Amino acid sequence: MICIQDLSFTYKNGTEPALREVSLTLPDGDFLGVIGPAGAGKTTLTRAIAGMIPHHYTGDYYGSVTVNGLDTVETPLDQISRLVGTVFQDVESQIISPVVEDEMLYGLENFGVPRAEIPRRLEEALGMVGIADLRERSIASLSGGQRQKVAIASILALKPQILVLDEPTGELDPRSSRQIFTLLRKLNEEQGITVIIVEQKIMLLCEFARHLAVLNEGRVMRQGEVREVLAHAEDLEAAGVNCPRVTTYSRALSARLGERQPVCVDLDEAEALTRRLMK
Amino acid sequence: MNNLFEYVPGNSFIHRLNPITKLLLTVVICVAAFVTDRLPVLLGLLAVNLLFGLIAGVAGRTWNILRGLLKIAVFLFLLQALLYRGGNPVFWIITDQGLLTAGKVVLRLVVVCMPLTLALAVTRISDLTNALTQVLHVPYPYAFTLAATIRFIPQFVEEMNGIMEAQTARGIPFDTARGLKKFSMIVPLCAPLLISSVRKTDQTAAAAEVRGFRLRTRDSAYKRYPFSAGDFAVFACCAAILAGAILL
Ligand SMILES: Nc1ncnc2c1ncn2[C@@H]1O[C@H](COP(=O)(O)OP(=O)(O)OP(=O)(O)O)[C@@H](O)[C@H]1O
Ligand SMILES: [Mg+2]
Repeated sequence: MICIQDLSFTYKNGTEPALREVSLTLPDGDFLGVIGPAGAGKTTLTRAIAGMIPHHYTGDYYGSVTVNGLDTVETPLDQISRLVGTVFQDVESQIISPVVEDEMLYGLENFGVPRAEIPRRLEEALGMVGIADLRERSIASLSGGQRQKVAIASILALKPQILVLDEPTGELDPRSSRQIFTLLRKLNEEQGITVIIVEQKIMLLCEFARHLAVLNEGRVMRQGEVREVLAHAEDLEAAGVNCPRVTTYSRALSARLGERQPVCVDLDEAEALTRRLMK
Repeated sequence: MNNLFEYVPGNSFIHRLNPITKLLLTVVICVAAFVTDRLPVLLGLLAVNLLFGLIAGVAGRTWNILRGLLKIAVFLFLLQALLYRGGNPVFWIITDQGLLTAGKVVLRLVVVCMPLTLALAVTRISDLTNALTQVLHVPYPYAFTLAATIRFIPQFVEEMNGIMEAQTARGIPFDTARGLKKFSMIVPLCAPLLISSVRKTDQTAAAAEVRGFRLRTRDSAYKRYPFSAGDFAVFACCAAILAGAILL
């Protein structure tokens, strides 16, 4: 369980708070999507959950974050890192090794995974993301999307209980993006791994996430189940977050017909609504 | 320039050598080049370098290094040859002794620059870091810093090129400017580049930290780095090179 209470944070060399009185609670095994405009504080939120704030990034810190009952301020970063695996937004800076295999090994070696287990973990993680063939390649020879997959695989290999992914599909094509989301859902459902994902592709978020949190100017504007959050589409759009087209469609219908229609979050629902209205 | 430090995958004899052995060979060649003052020995060292590149199967990289050194080599040669006093004139103010000295200076430069670049081309940086900590007992943070520096050179160059391309697209003639002019255009770009690099480096440090950077010990690495028969053979070569440089 992750519990964030009244968290406010200003980076040491920042002027404005990057997060303002953020409160969020995630039960174990949740799948949370985080969305918001540029500079809203999404990355900062992921850093706070992973303990990089305040252990690596210092600044003015108010409130508290607990991960599985451990206060991130008091717990050493290494201990939090064993629980929380983070995929960074900027892949370039996440990858420290020049060759894929070494990047995969790095965390496994440091966290003392038994030698006998390392090859299996490595192959498994590469296989899950579908890049087993890239194992011996140098990072410099990979495309942006391939690098992103390496970054994801290197974190999956560590088998964290909580996965934090900051725009992990930014460089991926639609098909690979969907593959990653499908993989996350599988890990979430079969192994009960908690997933927190920052993502701009709202359609994917609505399809795969259980809860949504909308951030704007460091505040959580809305949080709750996907459908509840989408019901407040006007607020989201005011904050610069585009809603799925089907949601916009059902809202437009409500407006035109002058009566409130249910909010659609996927194509099936939109089809059902359309059919009902056509009758 | 961009890929001058990049690893070239392979499975040659040199690739399989212990990273420490490659480092030793590099150091030995450099030391030998400074100890000796004889042209044939320098030529011999150049041959060793070329052989190194050939056996490692990185002839292309070797050629690129030589080509990269060409301009500065010509400049140094002319400078030395023109400034040297003494010896018998050969042509205008250039003397035979001048030519010899200039040749040695240039050869020494080439011989010293080649091995490190070649060694980096055939060694994975992570193997180097691991071997430094495992075999030479270098504290991991120092080894990591070294590795990070080597790793950031190409990234820095890539970013610099990106900015220059963007500026060229805005009509600033980066592509046609040469020499000092180009240099003076690049300098103002360094500050923003440095700031973005610092932020990136900071993120990389965070990335290492959340993956147990502080937990890493001498024994953490999955791979082991024992010396093999090939390594001992190269040790013998190193001894021979040093002896040759000192005695000849
Ligand atoms: N390392 C840092 N040092 C100082 N200020 C920072 C740092 N990282 C982020 N900030 C500031 O904190 C605020 C929130 O940034 P954050 O990166 O969390 O936003 P974001 O929602 O992830 O944006 P994006 O969609 O662009 O990734 C911004 O004003 C940003 O300038
Ligand atoms: Mg971000």
